[in-house]
Formats: sequence, structure tokens, C-alpha cells
Amino acid sequence: MTDAPPRLEIRNLTKRFGSFTANDGISLTVRAGELHCLLGENGAGKSTLSSCLFGLLQPEEGVVLVDGRALSLWSPADAIAAGIGMVHQHFVLVPAFTVLENIMVGTGRGLLADRKAARARVAGICRSYGLALDPDRPVSQLSVGEKQWVEIVKSLYLGARLLILDEPSAVLTPQESERLFVILRQLAASGIAVILISHKMREVMQSDRVTVLRRGRKIATVDTAGVTSDELSEMMVGRRVRPVTAAAAAPVAPAAEPLLSVGGLRLALARGRATAAIDLELGRGEILGIAGIAGNGQDELLETIAGLVPAEAGEIRLEGRPLSGLSAQAVAAMGVGYVPGDRFRDGLVPDFSIAENLILGAQWQKALRRGPLIDAAAVQARGEAAIAGFAIAASGPVMRCARLSGGNAQKVILAREFAKARRLLLCNQPTRGVDVGATEFIHAELLRKRGEGCAILLVSEEIDDLLALSDRIAVMFGGGIAGLFRRDEADVARIGRLMAGQGAGQAA
Amino acid sequence: MSRGAFSGWRLEPLADVPLRRRALAAASALTLAALLCGLLFLAAGANPFLAFAALVKGAFGSWRTATETLVKATPLIFTGLAAAVAFRARLWNIGAEGQVFAGAMFAYWVQHGLAGQPMALQLPVVVLGAMAGGALYAALAGVLRTAFRIDEVISTVMLNYIIVYMLSMLLLKGPWSEAGGFFEQTAKVDPGSILPALFPGSRLHLGFLLALAAAFLVQVLITRTPLGYEIRAMGSNLRALQVQGTSTVRIVLVVMALSGLLAGLAGATEVYGVHYRLKSGAVAGYGYAGIVVAILGGLRPWGVVCAAILFGALVNGATYMQIATGVPSALIYAIEAIILLFYLAGWAASGFRLRRAAHVR
Amino acid sequence: MFAELMEASVVISVLAATIRIATPVLLAALGELVAERAGVYNMGVEGTMLMGAFTAYLAASASGSLWLGVGAALMTGALASLVFAFLVITLRIEQIVTGLAINLLGSGLTVFWLRAAFADADQTPTIPLFAALPLPGLADLPWIGPVVFQQKALTYVALLAVPAVWFFLFRTRPGLDLRCCGENPKALDIKGHSVAARQYAAVVFGGAMAGLGGAFLTLAASARFVPEITNGRGWLAIVIVIAGMWRPVPVLLATLAFSFLDALQLQIQGIGITVPYQLLLAAPYVFALVVLALRRSHSGAPARLGIAYRREGG
Repeated sequence: MTDAPPRLEIRNLTKRFGSFTANDGISLTVRAGELHCLLGENGAGKSTLSSCLFGLLQPEEGVVLVDGRALSLWSPADAIAAGIGMVHQHFVLVPAFTVLENIMVGTGRGLLADRKAARARVAGICRSYGLALDPDRPVSQLSVGEKQWVEIVKSLYLGARLLILDEPSAVLTPQESERLFVILRQLAASGIAVILISHKMREVMQSDRVTVLRRGRKIATVDTAGVTSDELSEMMVGRRVRPVTAAAAAPVAPAAEPLLSVGGLRLALARGRATAAIDLELGRGEILGIAGIAGNGQDELLETIAGLVPAEAGEIRLEGRPLSGLSAQAVAAMGVGYVPGDRFRDGLVPDFSIAENLILGAQWQKALRRGPLIDAAAVQARGEAAIAGFAIAASGPVMRCARLSGGNAQKVILAREFAKARRLLLCNQPTRGVDVGATEFIHAELLRKRGEGCAILLVSEEIDDLLALSDRIAVMFGGGIAGLFRRDEADVARIGRLMAGQGAGQAA
Repeated sequence: MSRGAFSGWRLEPLADVPLRRRALAAASALTLAALLCGLLFLAAGANPFLAFAALVKGAFGSWRTATETLVKATPLIFTGLAAAVAFRARLWNIGAEGQVFAGAMFAYWVQHGLAGQPMALQLPVVVLGAMAGGALYAALAGVLRTAFRIDEVISTVMLNYIIVYMLSMLLLKGPWSEAGGFFEQTAKVDPGSILPALFPGSRLHLGFLLALAAAFLVQVLITRTPLGYEIRAMGSNLRALQVQGTSTVRIVLVVMALSGLLAGLAGATEVYGVHYRLKSGAVAGYGYAGIVVAILGGLRPWGVVCAAILFGALVNGATYMQIATGVPSALIYAIEAIILLFYLAGWAASGFRLRRAAHVR
Repeated sequence: MFAELMEASVVISVLAATIRIATPVLLAALGELVAERAGVYNMGVEGTMLMGAFTAYLAASASGSLWLGVGAALMTGALASLVFAFLVITLRIEQIVTGLAINLLGSGLTVFWLRAAFADADQTPTIPLFAALPLPGLADLPWIGPVVFQQKALTYVALLAVPAVWFFLFRTRPGLDLRCCGENPKALDIKGHSVAARQYAAVVFGGAMAGLGGAFLTLAASARFVPEITNGRGWLAIVIVIAGMWRPVPVLLATLAFSFLDALQLQIQGIGITVPYQLLLAAPYVFALVVLALRRSHSGAPARLGIAYRREGG
């Protein structure tokens, strides 16, 4: 075995943010041609580490060596010069530019833009790795998988010999994910070192070696062939992983009349994609979980029921009364709460206090007014009640929401929407990016709401959450329902296939 | 490359900036502005201290001049409030200039046929007419935004230019021009429509009290009413309001109308409280100055009042300054702009911190 | 009336006037186009033009050289927009408010300085204007000759700037990078290049062009500076960039359309038709609103226009 230095070696890297240590003395090596996975839960320090490697952050201690040379990475320019490339979880592309322009921007020297030369290079790269990209297509027209390829080609074009991918399959269907791994394997075979950041076991098991991070520290680096996914999970969370248990609450007896009925609903999806008709029914005290890869109509379904967006066709009824065609305000007045997926963009006014955010939408209600003025005491009281009832970590009801953490901000929204949702609650990703403690709390609150007889439509990317909470699970694909089953009939493999569009007989 | 951005000094944004830091920065910025203005005085060939003293004397030196300062401040309070209300909602109403015209013109239109009627009739007509005129002209820009997606910045500026020409048409050998006169103005308005003076011996008129009342009402509106809640919410996150089903179209139209209403009142107070005629010179210039006043006042009504009085002092003192020291009174417009720029820079700069970038071993 | 208007000499005169009148607005609009393509919404064009007009006049009357006046205008425009760039790019102050402040500064400083520099502000000395510069050979072509090729030097500069700006933005490498700043600055930043440097350059270029446009007003149109000589041309330039969908050739066409209205109005006045001249003066602004209303959406706008870029760590 030659003694060529490893493509990447990190010695004792430590990164702190104030008193918080995000990376604590991490050391690892990645060899050329290796597919190396960085595994850890949310908050384990994976993103911080990769940011340090790409020059976006500077560590307090430690050395980074590429091909045996120690480097100071002050900025992405330095990382790129050292042959490090990064594909971010949220793509950094210009939709209005073509594929070629996206790759060319920020490269080259000289005044004229040498498209011919660039085109030839890009074609060469695509050929080497089996990527089918049309350089003159605007990026806005590409599929998510194709956009990711553009990101990879961008890095290769800049001469990357170490490629870092941050949660690459978070946005891909299982099919696209498989194709990605074929490409990654080819990259590795050509001598490029690939670091894959992930917390999905399915991907992890496809790598050569795994480094497990937990709470900023490296737990171990192992050969993937020699471990089981259970062992890795245990290393990742630090305790025996309990299998997902059924929700504690007993199933509610089915009511005679469904609370929510949706018939022949066609959603207005972006780019005029034809969609199938949606029929579903939801009873009182029932949680219907909706699984699916982002972008298959889940957001639109909730927005349509909430009255924000008109449907193309079909009707929605709540307790027999029509809901479709009503304004968002009228829908809310019928006892429907809506927890949006993007909490800071759609759910809160960041400059307002907690108390003020709790009355968002209700500012004209008579109960909150004294004559023409808002009843400040009543608003304050609501704020205090919400903070107590939802264990919101805040200094008081007058605290600005911009300063709340993701989990606490979500609790404010839940407090507000739970109060509104006497009959139906529409929830989009309630625990995305929320820490473990708050997640457990939110789960308990959802079950409590269910116990009160409220019907809940729950959209989530985490199949495990859905399995834990839902009475029934629907899978959405292409704007329609690909499958619907009770929790005890559900299995992850089947759900995964339906998420990918296999089994419903429908192309994207 | 960008190496320099990391090894060396760096401007780092602060997460939460306490008011004290902001205020301190604003104060230092204003001191710098004062220094720059001093240089301008020198450039005009005058001793800065003498010129400044003349300015102060001209503004507050006597009872008469002090009340005159308030007279000059009155229209600025109105246009400042107009800008403040709109800007709080992130509605960039640059059209106060034109809305002042519209208020004055509408007021004159409904009032001048009532000549001879008692004041109890004419005055309310003047006030309500001004409010209506300003509100309608501003609402027009609101409609252009909601129905045609035209940025209100651009539409209000275009409307500013258009109405100036409209007034000129009416006044230059037009239906409203003074019979037998040579100037572009109307005849003197009926005595029954003139805003009464508050004290003998000064020009301070009822309009000033109206302005203070307006400031108080706007303060209550913004902080304690549902509409004020919606204004503040829209200025912070319009999308969140829409998701709740609140009609942002309604808010845009109402806020523009409210803003125009306030600006229109400035037109009425100047025509019926100071000049007693409708003419371009009576109503021009207050809109843009009102924007400066609003920003310096932190978009808060009482800040607007203070800033308006400050600017009224500048305008009033400038005439005396020009007589006493020869510095052109036009300097104060430059001073206003400099104060604004330094204030903006100071306020923003206080949100950053200069740091040495951390080094890796 | 129509018969009078349709005479060949009248048509030629109106068309030539159109191009002449278009010059200052075209210069400012092309400059603003570049700045907005880089993502910066410079509302201060009016004030910058005004300052350019004034310093051009000041320098020319003090030195006797018109080209020195041009140089002064370029520098003034660049300097004013440098200040603007610092405030909105580095300090990230709201772009609209800062632009307005620059306008106020322009108004205030020019009026003050005019009165301070000249004893009698109403009778300031006139300067000899730029003479027309007929291009040999081309100026004798029928129709096109008198319309296009007998203009003044700055007009040729403005017309040449159209293909130059197009070429820069769409055929060069720095132009691609600059457009990226307006569409998705993070894409450029992540490759290790400075977004701020490019935005500064674009804004300063825009300011210099606006200053140059202002210089035309005093050095080639009227022979002296009067307060508010720009009279809304800077704002029209901003409207034109929107109407022209941020592309140089449509911007040229839009500018010509507006200027045609102006030229027509002058001609009609000359003939003595009894339309109130104020209506004609107001026509361009009304036309601007109509054009914007018809163009139902901001199509073609750079995606991140007006949004200050902030790099998030990691």
C-alpha cells in the first residue's frame, strides 16, 4: 500500500460559538477514492464541520491537511483553490441562468466569456460520470435531481478532488437517490474523495466508511461493511434505540359522519402539472398523516383546505358545510387552525411580541377589543397563558419573536392555532428543525388535541413521526394520493415505494 | 481575492441592538453632520459660529420668531405623520408632495363657492375637503399598486409631477386665477375660511393645534388599534398577515388614504392659515421634507413633532441668517439632507461591530 | 395641423430632437440598468444627475473647458453614488430611503452652492454650449443623416453605450458575474468572489452615467444651471429601466418613446396650437404610468433586486 497522504486529514478541530462548542477536537481522515459518510443527529456538528472545511467558518483550534499539506481556509476561495468542493443542501443556483452559465459564473479570466471552451469542458465532465445535462437549458426548468447534478458539475469544473455533499437525498425520490449514488461511486472510482453528510441509514450503509458524531465529538470511525445500522444508530444517539411504539392514546371510535370530506379535489400545482382527483375523509379525533417527498402537493393540499389558494376543481366540506371557496378568514372562523411549513415566513411577525403574534388574524375580534382600541390586558393574559400552557422558553409575553429559537417559535404558532382549531387542525412539518425535547412536547400536544375530538391533517417528512402519531397514513405523489392505509397496515418499504411513484402507476 | 475580508478587520452584524447604542450612534453621527455643516458655512464665507448663532436667534430669539418657527413646523408635522404612517407599513409613499397639493386644491374647490358663509361652515369644509383631496390622490396610487402592481414609489413620484402641472393649468389664466392679476395664484380667500390665529401678534394659527391633535390620534391609532396592529404587522411581515386571511389590499388602500389625508391637511393649513391664497409656492416642498422629518423622528408621532419643530427652526432661522451673515438660506436644504444621511449612517452603523477575524494557529 | 406636422422638415426636426432629448435620460437609464442588474435599486438618480449638471456647469464656467465640465460631472456622479453604495451595500440601509436622501442632498447642495458661488443667482453666466458634431459622410445621408448623425458628441456616447452595455452584460465574463449578483449573489459568493465589490462598481458606474446625463443638460442643452433643471428625468430613467425589462435595447426604445412625446410637445408649441402646454408637459409622466400599468408584472427583473446581500455563516 503506497504511503500517499490521505486526501483529507483533520487533526483536533475545534469550533466554538461563544460558550457553545459545536466541534470538539475532531480528527478523521478520508482517502482518495473513498466514499465517507459523516453521520449524526441534528445538532451533532456535521454542518459546522463541513463549513469549516469549506472555509465558511474558521475553527479555533486544529489543522486541516489536504494531500498532506496544512491549509488555512479563510474563505470558500481558499477551499476551492485547495480542491475542495461542496454541494449544499439548499442549492445555490441562479434559476434565470442556463446550466452552462451557472457553471461558468465566477470562473475563468479575461474579458470575454469563453462559452465554447466551457461547453467543451462541461461536456467532458458529464461524459466521464454519465450525467445527462443540456448546458443551454435554464436551471428553472430542471428537476430537483438534475439541479443537484449541476451543483456537482460546478464543483468538478472548479477542479474539486474532495467533494462534500450535505444531505443530498433529502430532496430526492428513492430513484433519483439511487442514480446519485451511482454517480458518486464513479466519482470515487476516478480518485475523488467523497464526504457524504447524512442522518439517513439507507444512505449511510452505502458508503465505505462512517464517522459518527454526537454532540460535537467524534464517537468512532468504522468500516461500513463491519457494522449494522442498529449499531450505528446506537452510536449516533448514544443509547439503545427503541423501536417505534404505537401512540399511547386509544384509537377513537369512528363517528358516523366524517368531519372533513374532500371530494374530487384537484390542486393547483406549480407549472401546470395535471393532477389526479383527491378524495379523502377524516373523522373526529383522528390523525391522518401525509407522507411524501417535498413538492408533491402536500403544501398545496393544506393551503387549499385552509382557504389560501383556490382549488382547480372539487369540493371540501366540514361537518357537511362547504369549505371550498371560502376565504382564509372564513375558514378559520369555522374552527380550522393552520400551522404553516415555513414558520418565520408564513406564521409569525418577527418584530412583534409573543402576545401580539398570538392574536395575529384575530386583531378585529370583539373579544379582544374595548371599543375602538385593542384590549391590552386581554392580549397580555393570552400571552401568559400560552407561555405557561406550552412551556415556551421566553422572558415574558412581551419578548420579540425574532429572538425565539425554532422550537419555541413553533410553540407560539401552535398555541395560536390550537386555540383556533376547534374542529380541524392542519399541520405542516410541525417538528422540522426542532430539538428533541420540544418535539416530544409537540407530539404530546397533538395527541392531546386528538383526544379532545379535533381532526388533524399532519404533513411530515419524518416517516417515523407519522408512524408514531397517525391513525392512518396517506402518501402523496404528483399532487394526488398514491396510497392510504391504517397505521397497523403501514410499512416503511411500501411507503417509500409509493413516495417514489412506484405502485400508483404515475410518472412525475 | 476575498482573503482580505477574513484576515484583518471585519464588519459583523449584531443580533440585537439596544436602543442606547442606537441613540448614541445617532448622536455622534449628528455631531459629525454638524461639523460638515460648519464646513459648508465656511465655504459660504461666513463664520460658522456666528452663522449658527444667527440661525438660532432667527428661530427662537423672540416670542414672535418662536411662534413663527411653529408656524413653519405645522405643515411638516402633517407631512411627517403622513410619511411615518405609510413607512411603518413599508408603503413607500413618496407622494406627500403631490397629496399636499391635492388637499389644498380640493379644499379650495369646495370652499371658494362658499365665500361669505359663516366660519362655522367654511372651516370644517376646508378641513374635510383637504382631507378628502389628499386621501383620494394617495388612494389613486394605492389602486395603481393593488390593481396594476405599479410600485408606489414610482407612481407617487409621477403623480407629484402631474398635479403640479394641473395646478398651474388652473392658476395661469385658468378658471381659478385671480381676476386682473399677473401671478399664478387665486384671489385672496374669504375671511370666513381663514384659520384663526391663536395669539395676537403672531401668525400661529389653529392649524398648529390640529397638527398636534393629529399626532396624538396617530399615536393612538398605531399603538392601540387593530388597524395600527395591521400597519405594524404589514411593515414587518406582510406574508404572515396574508396567511391569516387578512386582506392586505384593504390595508394598502386604507393606509395610503390615511397618509394622503394627513398630507392634504398640510395643504389646507398653508393656504388657509398662512398665505390666504392658493398658489404653488404656498404648498410646494413640504412633502419631501416631511419624509426626512419622519425618518429623523423614528417614524413615531412624537419624534415627528420634534423633528418638524427642528426643521421649522432651520427654515425660520435661515432667513435671518441670510440677512445677518450673508449665508444663502438655501443652505438649510443641504443641511437637512446631510443630517438625514448621517443619521441613517449612524443608526445603521450601530448595528455592526468591527472585529479582528479569529486566526487558526 | 396635421399637414403642417407631416412636412418632411418638421418630421426630421422632431426625430432629431427626439434623439437629442433622449440623451440625458438614456445615459442615466443605462447606468441605472447596470446598477439594478447587480441588484441595487438606486433611487437617487435624480439627485445625482442634478449634482452632475451643476458641477459640469461650475467647472465649465470656471475653466472655460467643456470637457473639464464633463470630467467634473463624471467624478461627481461617481462620488455621490459611492456614498450611496457604502450606505446600502456595506451598512445595508433601506435602499429606497437612502436614494431619497441622495436626491435631497442633490437638490439642497446645488441650490446652496449656486447662490454661494454666484452673486446673482438668477443671472448666472452662460457658457458656450457643445456644438453639434456632424459625422463626415454619414451626416449627408438622406433622412438618417440629419436625424442621427448631426448630433452632439455626448449623444453619440449615449447611443454607443447601448451596444456597449449589452455586450458587457451578456457577452463578457465580468458581466455574467455582475448579473449573478442581482439574481442570486450567494452563488457568486460561494465560489469565493466578492459580491460587494461588483455591486460597488456597478453603482459607481451608474452614478457616473447619471452625472454625465446631467452634464448634457447644462453643457449641451441649456447654457446655465437652474435649480431642479433635471425636472424628473432621473425618475423617468428608473421607469424606463422597468419598462425596458432591464435590457439595453428595449431601454433605448422606451427612452425614445418618452422623448418623442417631449419633442412633439415642443413642436406643437412652436406651431401655436392651443393645447394647454401643461398637459403636454405632464404627458410623459402620465405615459409612464400607462406603460407600467400595461406591463402587468415586473418580468425580467433581477431576482434579488433591492435586497441587501448578507452572507450567512456556514
